[in-house]
Amino acid sequence: MTYGEVGRRDQPEKPITILINGKKCMAREGEIVLSVALREGVAIPHLCYEASLEPYGGCRLCMVEATDHGRTSMTTACSLRATEGLEVCTDTPEVVKYRNVLFELYLAEAPKSETIKEMAARYGVTKTSFLKKIDIEDALGGKCVLCGLCVRVCTEIMGAGAINFINRGPYTVVNTPYFEANTDCLGCGACANVCPTHAIQIEDRNGERVLHSWGGIKIPLKRCSSCGKYYTPEALAVSVQNTLMPPIRSDLAGFCPACRAKKCADMEIRAHMKTEGEGNHV
Amino acid sequence: MNGLRGISARRVAGLQKIKPDRPRIAVGLATCGTAVGGDRVYRRLQEVIENSGDDIMLTKTGCMGYCREEPLVNVTIPGKPLVVLHGVSTDDADEIVRAVRAGKVPYDRVLCQIPSWDHMSGTTIEYGRGFDQVPPYEDVPFFSHQKKVVLRNTGFINPEDLDEYLAVGGYAAAKKALTEMTPDAVIVEVERSGLRGRGGAGFPTGLKWRIAKKETGDQKYVICNADEGDPGAYMNRNEMESDPHMLVEGMIIGAYAVGAGEGLIYLRAEYPLAIKRLELAISEARTCGLLGKDIFDTGFDFDIRIVTGAGAFVCGESTALVASIEGKTGRPHPRPPRLTDLGGGLWGRPTVLNNVETWCNVPVIIQNGGDWFAEIGTEKNTGTKVFSLVGAVDRVGLVEVPLGTSLNTIVYEIGNGGANGKNVKAVQTGGPSGGCIPTRLFDMPMDYESLNRVGSIMGSGGIVVMDEETNMVDIARYFINFATGESCGKCVPCREGLKHTLLLLNKIMAGKGKENDLETLELLADTIKKTSLCGLGQSAPNPVLTTLAYFREEYDARVRR
Repeated sequence: MTYGEVGRRDQPEKPITILINGKKCMAREGEIVLSVALREGVAIPHLCYEASLEPYGGCRLCMVEATDHGRTSMTTACSLRATEGLEVCTDTPEVVKYRNVLFELYLAEAPKSETIKEMAARYGVTKTSFLKKIDIEDALGGKCVLCGLCVRVCTEIMGAGAINFINRGPYTVVNTPYFEANTDCLGCGACANVCPTHAIQIEDRNGERVLHSWGGIKIPLKRCSSCGKYYTPEALAVSVQNTLMPPIRSDLAGFCPACRAKKCADMEIRAHMKTEGEGNHV
Repeated sequence: MNGLRGISARRVAGLQKIKPDRPRIAVGLATCGTAVGGDRVYRRLQEVIENSGDDIMLTKTGCMGYCREEPLVNVTIPGKPLVVLHGVSTDDADEIVRAVRAGKVPYDRVLCQIPSWDHMSGTTIEYGRGFDQVPPYEDVPFFSHQKKVVLRNTGFINPEDLDEYLAVGGYAAAKKALTEMTPDAVIVEVERSGLRGRGGAGFPTGLKWRIAKKETGDQKYVICNADEGDPGAYMNRNEMESDPHMLVEGMIIGAYAVGAGEGLIYLRAEYPLAIKRLELAISEARTCGLLGKDIFDTGFDFDIRIVTGAGAFVCGESTALVASIEGKTGRPHPRPPRLTDLGGGLWGRPTVLNNVETWCNVPVIIQNGGDWFAEIGTEKNTGTKVFSLVGAVDRVGLVEVPLGTSLNTIVYEIGNGGANGKNVKAVQTGGPSGGCIPTRLFDMPMDYESLNRVGSIMGSGGIVVMDEETNMVDIARYFINFATGESCGKCVPCREGLKHTLLLLNKIMAGKGKENDLETLELLADTIKKTSLCGLGQSAPNPVLTTLAYFREEYDARVRR
């Protein structure tokens, strides 16, 4: 269970209008303002937001100035909910001032990240006045910004909980317990997919998936029983088969998605031909 | 209800213990008293009394808050005032017992006398008259400017005995609330009192309760935040160690008002005595039917359990505290949802979280009425606040004064200025994330708004006094070092920003700072304050910002031009 999910009131699907940088935007009441802005093509920098997860509020880059019922405050767009008449401004001098300092902090924290450099440069920040973090043993290659997306996806979506935060404050890092290969890992690779700075190193080689960043976990890959290609980690296949309701039909369970599609189509055609054939007889 | 029938008997028994018909010696045994040898004094007194065979009652009480004068020992002789002895050591035990046997007190150890004491819950204990040469309580400068509301029982009753709490009017407010008032009437009374959260932010307590009451749901919770972790702050510890039932009673009333069936006390594990005494208080209350099913035959069910904290400062932040109880890492999450919202509290249930001292204010408000309470303090800052006056101050101790009392009164009149004859330079209020206030602003009233105006916070009520020898840049560095270590690491301004603030302060302290480092420092501190996720980050830069504002010359002296 996560916050907000348990008892969130049924949101009435009432369309409302909010103003973002003076532009009228349609939104659902209670919708997250960052999501509205992105849909409307208003760029707000962000690193820790992902629509399928609960708002996290960690990266602080989506700071905006919000005016609601005459009260103005600075807040993160990822935790701000749309209400009728809400006015949002994404680039007031105050927002820009603080956001630039945040970009400088990111440039120092993840000096190897091209994503951060490009994002900061888009907002005019090209250098940092802070000491850059250099750690040659960093499993994430100096690119991690601790947005927590990998941890949350692994725990909340995949239900694996193979990685988490270690230590606290400026010593926080993400990894497996004791930086060792963790049997809880399904090898799904969702962490790497969702990582905004491409910090997580995963490689498929010689019939196994190697998670270089996570203690070198090795997960055997499963071969398609039809075409013989490796198509998914064994552990993930088992987990999916156990989670799906109804499960994949047993005669299709060992197939890769492509072969499964082919096989299904094949079966459909055969069944159709059989019916047609019978029809001809009558 | 068997238990409740037992209450009036226990009240009578309690009165017999507070004012027995034989001499009574009570040793202040909260953690502070024990730390300076109170338990040794207690054991020595025990030996002396056993050996002499005198008919003297020896007992424990909590702490009166005058830390500098500990261990404190109270002596009551029937018909005579209660006499407070101070700075008592094991060597004094024989002399004390000898004097008490003769119906006297050892004059070289007396601090003051108390002929009668108003426990503010309809009960005034009349001890007696006499000992004219002993100064009255009101004439002791440390006490004379104080107004004891929350601490009205501390040092007078045995915190390990429900009888004594009942004897001074305990649980009368809970009974009144549950049997004579509707939940709404309770909330109205708390609103009328103007009580604001004593945990630091000063949110109106009545309003918080009203919001939680409106929420629907199968279950609601009330939680007490007893994760007091500020260096130099120990108000809550003493409140729990010296008068644990007051907290329990406050929570019963609050739970009744908002409709909660379960209460939790999130208590830091570093307070073993508070845990022990609260556990005892809860179990005694349960035995008497004050907790559990059908309290006061009203059909209201409520129970309390203690959850010990995991030792992280950030767990005092409301959302992190709830996460910690749920077994997760203590990391804050963005609000809304607030704890009082359905979906936002503990296990997703509407939850009222209040600080120890907030809960402790509730019984007296119900007993004496919101208007009575609102008379204390100022218009928007009603009631009293307990401050721990520590650091380079002469009279160290816990001080309870009406809100709006000036820092001058607290530091100079109650605290008697700097220790060892030194001049006071500044105070820091509100714990490690409070601001440093220079002496020239000491005529300001201690209230939530005034403190914010000068860049500090009420916090939980710590006042750390600094004297002329204190280096303010080093002070800022000390507190930033603390906050950096306690940052949970979730949001970037707090995690990275504080680290770089510390690096800059180290550089300046080492004499390697440049002038533009001060600009960077100021901008960075401002950014952390404005953009952090939770209260820890939002307030952590205060020591830097205030020392930059009020003691700029000390920074300038250390940077190269």
